[in-house]
Amino acid sequence: MSLPRSDYDPRRVCLNPFPGLNISLGKHRRTLGVYIAGGLFALATWTFLDAAILSAHAHPPYNEPDYPVPVHVGFVDWVPGINSLLGMLVINLIDKDRVRGDEGFGDSRAVWRARLFLFVGFALMAGGLAGSVALLVLKYVLQGYQEQYLYYGYANVAQNVSLMLSAVVLWIAQSSSSEYEYSLAI
Amino acid sequence: MAAGLKTVILLSFVLAVGFLMIILSCALWSNWLPLLVALTFVVAPLPNALFSHCGADDFSTDLGEGSGPVDLGRFITAIIVVTGFSLPLVLAHSEIIRPGACVMSIVGGGLVYGTILSYTAAFKQDDSEYD
Repeated sequence: MSLPRSDYDPRRVCLNPFPGLNISLGKHRRTLGVYIAGGLFALATWTFLDAAILSAHAHPPYNEPDYPVPVHVGFVDWVPGINSLLGMLVINLIDKDRVRGDEGFGDSRAVWRARLFLFVGFALMAGGLAGSVALLVLKYVLQGYQEQYLYYGYANVAQNVSLMLSAVVLWIAQSSSSEYEYSLAI
Repeated sequence: MAAGLKTVILLSFVLAVGFLMIILSCALWSNWLPLLVALTFVVAPLPNALFSHCGADDFSTDLGEGSGPVDLGRFITAIIVVTGFSLPLVLAHSEIIRPGACVMSIVGGGLVYGTILSYTAAFKQDDSEYD
């Protein structure tokens, strides 16, 4: 009395399932995914900190010392990263079994609430990404700065893309492993 | 167990070379900021060691390698390792340290962390024999 997994899985969230990229890794998939997520997180943080440190040590060119540095990394540049970080926290605080909608839990509204918070988390992350792109365009590109100052905006976009990738990799790694255990437990 | 002695000597030699590279990268330019790389890589295996005992108790199956604290430890480990490699790059990018010091500290840090990893991998089976 078991349905074949390839046809239809009632626990599935998405209509099209995520492609199994690294099935051959087997039981190490969760470990590897968590490591990759942590690496992406650190990469995001250091990309932005690189821009911030570079901005703090920016000096006028040597041949014309009176020319001031036109732009610095301020608090506005930190806001998209903080948004993405909050979104990542919200996403990872959700119990993943609730979102999947198993009927074993007594409260049926818990699934609805979990999905609402998942939506809030992804909205925060998307807001951070969109905010970083807006920051790049409004603060750096439209003002016509030189290429070395445009790097601050590019680093901000790269930070938010990496944070989103980190959250997605972490989610896939943790939820795929639980399905693996679940299928073995039956 | 005969291979244990050679492994220990080789690994300690590599560890000494790694610390030599890091300390040289500081001392040659008399800028001691790359010493943070050594500190980072020494701290790197600590989260896994702390959180690995939180995961499985005696009643759980061996398949269950996934629990929250273990994942948190791995996450923090990956963060620390990437930090160790990217800290010299960031410092060299903003011209606080020289590019030579950056390369030397990255190589030294990689040697130190590789020593720690291979030490854990080489002597892992000795621990499991006591179980």
